[in-house]
Amino acid sequence: MNTKYKTSPHQYWNPYFGGFLLGIIIIFTFYLTGRGLGASGAIKSSVVTVVENVAPKHAESNSYYSQFITDDKSPMNTWLVYEALGILIGAFISGSISGRIKWRVQHSPKITAKRRLIFALIGGILFGLGAQIARGCTSGAALSGMAVLSTGGFLTMLSIFGSAYAFAYFFRKNWI
Amino acid sequence: MKFLSNRYLILGAILIILAGGLLLLPKYEKQEGIRSKQLLSHAISPERYISTDDISHKIISQDPSFILVDVRDEESYNNYSLPNAINIPLSKLLDEDSLTYLNQDQFDVVFYSNNTFLADQAWMLCDRLGFKNLHVLKGGLNTWYTTIINPTKPNEAMPETEFKLYSTRKAASMYYGVAYPDQNFGNDLPTTPETPKKVVTVEKKKKRKAEGGC
Amino acid sequence: MGPLIPGGYIPLEWDSIIAIFIGIAFGFVLEASGFSSSRKLAGVFYGYDFAVLKVFFTAAAVSVIGIYYMDYLGYLDISKLYVHPTYLWGAIIGGIIMGAGFVTGGFCPGTSLCAVAIGKLDAWIYVFGIMVGVFIFSELFNLFEPIYDGYNFGNITLIDSFGWNPYWVIFIFTIIAVLAFGIADLVRKKIKSVFY
Repeated sequence: MNTKYKTSPHQYWNPYFGGFLLGIIIIFTFYLTGRGLGASGAIKSSVVTVVENVAPKHAESNSYYSQFITDDKSPMNTWLVYEALGILIGAFISGSISGRIKWRVQHSPKITAKRRLIFALIGGILFGLGAQIARGCTSGAALSGMAVLSTGGFLTMLSIFGSAYAFAYFFRKNWI
Repeated sequence: MKFLSNRYLILGAILIILAGGLLLLPKYEKQEGIRSKQLLSHAISPERYISTDDISHKIISQDPSFILVDVRDEESYNNYSLPNAINIPLSKLLDEDSLTYLNQDQFDVVFYSNNTFLADQAWMLCDRLGFKNLHVLKGGLNTWYTTIINPTKPNEAMPETEFKLYSTRKAASMYYGVAYPDQNFGNDLPTTPETPKKVVTVEKKKKRKAEGGC
Repeated sequence: MGPLIPGGYIPLEWDSIIAIFIGIAFGFVLEASGFSSSRKLAGVFYGYDFAVLKVFFTAAAVSVIGIYYMDYLGYLDISKLYVHPTYLWGAIIGGIIMGAGFVTGGFCPGTSLCAVAIGKLDAWIYVFGIMVGVFIFSELFNLFEPIYDGYNFGNITLIDSFGWNPYWVIFIFTIIAVLAFGIADLVRKKIKSVFY
């Protein structure tokens, strides 16, 4: 019935297939390590490392950084950092197979690259802030949380999507 | 209007059926620990009971390989107990602190009470949970008293071995502070000897909690 | 018997190695599903591409069904799994801020890492933004601390909070997910397609 199979670098997997494999990966992760996936934790670790190296005194006295600083191991030596390295490698492999690797700024033709970058920065700041407050991002809190029916996971998921839909109208120019 | 192709309808149905399958699965109680047959074979095994003579010998030779567990209440324990015994009243058997002593494979655990009634219950509970190296003192403290502390003198008609046993028991009882009239000690009440308490250190089992955090 | 590493079936040294391999699989699947494209991701909020919804909910449904089957068959002990803790207002307020960040920046942290790997400059800026966000949070930690540490309900699941039967929760969740896929396709038919 559906005959319009396009061939382009935008040819991605069927989303259901991707979702199915992702589900299997989550099961496997829980089976092996008893924990879920994550992403923002690795970025947090790198921030802690940078601050610790630039201003060690300050990092010790700050009650948030100091939670992640131990004497015997670097904040980079955590499970999530290794996993994030894996994400970079895996995405690079997939991208190279499909020929999607290219330095570029992806944006809607209606906006300039500069505008896109500014909004990317604002979005990043907001997401970084929110992920710390909620103790996890879409992968760590929402996806892995939902896999074990965590109440917090469902709450975070509903809040993320709810608020994204609520704000979507104001940013429509950037995307469509 | 046909907005979904059939293959997606089938895939969606499969997912729902799989989820529904969880509802239809027969419920069963997850059995913690070992099965009944195994339990029975442990229960009738001769290794379950340790005789008072064996324990007495182990105590005297300061064998470090076992823990004596007094399962009576605290008052009885303070009143009289075997040297180096630790007190885990039956009601506290499954407390976190107690389990570090019971659920390990370094030491033999020997339960005792006045008779074997409480000790047997403790043994059964722990064996069912799959703990290892569990034993019960045969006859409990009553037998301990009649055999070690106050051994009956064998009469003339008895064979030689009985006399040997009597003399070892008598020697043992002196270790536990019992005095005999032919020696110049004061009273003949059994008292706990003033041996320094052996500190039993049990290594905690290596088990990590799953951690997370994004 | 599972989970294997906390249960001591696999030595701890493997933890980091396994982490890298799991990450590779995760990154590969995300990228191959198109999650390295912010315009594809944002499509879910404007109705021109529902890949996020489909991947996300398929993954959640498959994983929760799989985990409960494995628990039933005795391969995995659910009570030993890490349950994301519930800090009521932290989850809600953090989620709202993240939602705003999602629609502004077009990525979430996991997908932005994928986009970084294939050279999207906006993703590099986005990751830098996340770092700034974390930095701001840490510097103003005293301000956020009441939300961050308050309203803690512990590591609870829906079963603990509402006393629901987990199997019914999964069943209903799956039905909602499948219905959402159908509705998503309906909506997509009605909306002018956007090429990106």
